[in-house]
Amino acid sequence: MSAPKKTFTLLQLTQSIRKALEVSFDGRYWIVAEMNKLNLYPKSGHAYPELVEKQDGVIVAEMRANLWKNDYERINQNFIQVLKEPLKDGIKVLMNVSVGFDSKYGISLTIHEIDANYTLGDLEQEKQNSIQALKQQGIFDLNRKKSLPMLPQRLAIISVANSKGYQDFTHVLDENQWQYKFFHMLFPSLLQGDKAVADLTNQLNRIRKVAHHFDAVVIVRGGGGDIGLACYNNVNLCKVIAEFPLPVLTGIGHRVNESVADMVAYKNLITPTDLGNYFIQKFHNFSLPVQRAEEALADKSLRLLSETKSKLHAFVLLFRSVVETTLVKNTSKIETLRVGLRSKTIQLVANEKGSIQKLSKALANDARTLLTAERVSVSKLQEGMKNRINVRLSKEEMKVNGLENSVRLLDPRNVLKRGFSITLVNGKAVTDENEVQSGEEITTLLYNGTLKSRKE
Amino acid sequence: MSETTINYARAFEELQAIVTEIELGQITVDILSEKVKRASELIAICKTKLSSTEEDVNQILKELDQ
Repeated sequence: MSAPKKTFTLLQLTQSIRKALEVSFDGRYWIVAEMNKLNLYPKSGHAYPELVEKQDGVIVAEMRANLWKNDYERINQNFIQVLKEPLKDGIKVLMNVSVGFDSKYGISLTIHEIDANYTLGDLEQEKQNSIQALKQQGIFDLNRKKSLPMLPQRLAIISVANSKGYQDFTHVLDENQWQYKFFHMLFPSLLQGDKAVADLTNQLNRIRKVAHHFDAVVIVRGGGGDIGLACYNNVNLCKVIAEFPLPVLTGIGHRVNESVADMVAYKNLITPTDLGNYFIQKFHNFSLPVQRAEEALADKSLRLLSETKSKLHAFVLLFRSVVETTLVKNTSKIETLRVGLRSKTIQLVANEKGSIQKLSKALANDARTLLTAERVSVSKLQEGMKNRINVRLSKEEMKVNGLENSVRLLDPRNVLKRGFSITLVNGKAVTDENEVQSGEEITTLLYNGTLKSRKE
Repeated sequence: MSETTINYARAFEELQAIVTEIELGQITVDILSEKVKRASELIAICKTKLSSTEEDVNQILKELDQ
């Protein structure tokens, strides 16, 4: 059996711990920690900050602290003066603390003083480091140099669904009175605190995958208090934003210090409502010229038509008067020509008539002369012919008389008369004795009668 | 940029060019009706773009899952 245990009550133990602590930690200490949460109770005016220490982003120490009303007010005033913002969550602080122990609430630190200059330097240093790194990599201006489409209509929104920032932003887009239509899609993410960097980066990478569906990325935050916003100075997150293929616009909603994310973003407009109105304004910039164009077209068209009409009218008048003048001029010219033509024609006809008469007279004379001449030569020929015929006739008569004498001399009867005879055998005259055979009868023609005989 | 994005931006530019032409009085009555007709088409394109989008959440979700 074991000896009876020595027991204490819980209170006895906690009082003992308290005594030990008070002996060991009896003074005040300057310590550096991150004030994760301020935990201010407005009613009492006391704050119960949550202090942490991180190594490589992981919390390695954590303690609660008390900041009593009077100290809080004094320190806060000093912060506002030095940092231009109040004492708040998520800042690194150098503070003067004492260690205390309460039997009910346990160990805690009581903050007596916070060095605002330390915090300022620390935050600023971190921010400057990020800026420096991005500039050295040559990507600081990358996103700002992107171009937003004329109508940034399709927006990937990184926010928290039920947050005031998201609701404010989408309200401006969806409830606009001009019927502008936006397409937006929420990519939910933590927007502040330790895990926000990884979460934001993850959603940006998801959006990158479907970037062709969007015109811009919008990060809007609001209503969650200005705590844990150091993430927007994180160099890795800011690098993703700077290098993002789409313009990234921020409405992260803190009024004093611009974060590095805001600086590298295409556009930063503090509040989600302002950012929503920025998009509406883009639509106005497109819509108003279109409306103006519509009006100008109608107006100018009408004016052009009426101007042209009156120009045409003036021209018609001018044309008419020119035509009339020309007509009158030409009419009188034609009249002159007509008169001239008539008198010339009459003259010409008269001239021609005269010459025709002359010609016909001359023709008659010529014909008469010619006829007389022909008649004379015909009667001359007639005379000549008569003489020649008479000469020829007497010549022929003489010839005929000669021939008559010859013929008379040659007549056989005349020869027979002179004693000549003709011997015939068988009716044929014989000129050779051998033509007649002995004993053959011959006939001898005499002037007067015939003798018949025979050859011996 | 999608096809329609290019179209509305071009439509906007062309519309502005026509308005400038008309305002400077560089358009004659002969081509006025043609220009007005074209401008009306462009205005319709621009107005349609202002009041509608063709994006589909489901399609984007599908692509995100791939």
